[in-house]
Amino acid sequence: MNKVSQQDHRNVQRQKSHMPQNSMFFEKIVPVLLVGMGIITVALILFAAGVLLGIVHF
Amino acid sequence: MSFNQILPFLSTAIMAVFTVYVLQRYFVRRAPHFLFWGIGLAMFGAGSFAEAYLAVAWNKWVFFTWYLFGAALNAGWIGHGTLALLTRRKWVHLVTGILVLGSLYAGYLMLQAMPGLDEEVFTASKLISEQYGTKVLEPGETPPAGAQITATTYRGEEVTVVRGILPLGTPVRLTTPFFNIYGLLTLVGGAIWSAYLFWRKRVLPNRVIGNVLIAAGALSIGFASTLTRLGYGQLLYLGELIAAVLMFAGFLTAAKPQPSEEPGPAKVVLAAEQ
Repeated sequence: MNKVSQQDHRNVQRQKSHMPQNSMFFEKIVPVLLVGMGIITVALILFAAGVLLGIVHF
Repeated sequence: MSFNQILPFLSTAIMAVFTVYVLQRYFVRRAPHFLFWGIGLAMFGAGSFAEAYLAVAWNKWVFFTWYLFGAALNAGWIGHGTLALLTRRKWVHLVTGILVLGSLYAGYLMLQAMPGLDEEVFTASKLISEQYGTKVLEPGETPPAGAQITATTYRGEEVTVVRGILPLGTPVRLTTPFFNIYGLLTLVGGAIWSAYLFWRKRVLPNRVIGNVLIAAGALSIGFASTLTRLGYGQLLYLGELIAAVLMFAGFLTAAKPQPSEEPGPAKVVLAAEQ
């Protein structure tokens, strides 16, 4: 494999194993999703704890 | 048969393929987290199959399977796989012991509840998630259409209840929040944490997306289960199907092999791989 194609191969590998730069999805949407899901998880756990403690009736 | 009653058949098929896929990985790599995930997914699949069966006919042992594996245990075991992946082996052994004992105890309580099941309440025209539990009717509260109302004494008080298959105050019902809290915390928390680690290091976008999908799938079933507790059981089957699809898609996405040219990120992969 010559030098140029080796460099191309490395670039392809890097693109696959690293996040794309300036990506709206990875820069904005992913953090919002992670925080949002964290909040929902805490809310669901509090609800389940409420059931356990008898605060929420079922 | 309504559209809602067909959904568990689809969930069962997806979970069967998912379970075989994960257990195959366990037999090749012998990593315990694959075994715990496989056990939890098999329980999820058994619960879905039981729902599908109960949409057609009554069988008290199928109901046993539905409640114990589908409602109580599966989330805890799937989440335990994530704990085994992310924490030290010493803690995993300890928590595995607690989980096994807890599961056996829940099974014992479920067996104890079996003679007291109110089988007359069952109707195949309603989803099992809408008729499994007896619920106290608060003063002024309107009972759901078609509900069977009766008066009973509970903890020394005369109360009006909507009849369900499991009698009021059945102890096994108190075990489900323990398993579900543990499962939600470890499965969703672990997936969010893994996604965050890869996102922060700007590596392996497939694992970021895969873990986001797994967390979203687990939240979908957690949300649907919570609504079921609140009396909106008709969304449970849809939540399960969404969970099965998202978690399987997330697992496949995260497990997709990616080339890595630097030794640093490769270590991260081994530390938090799916």
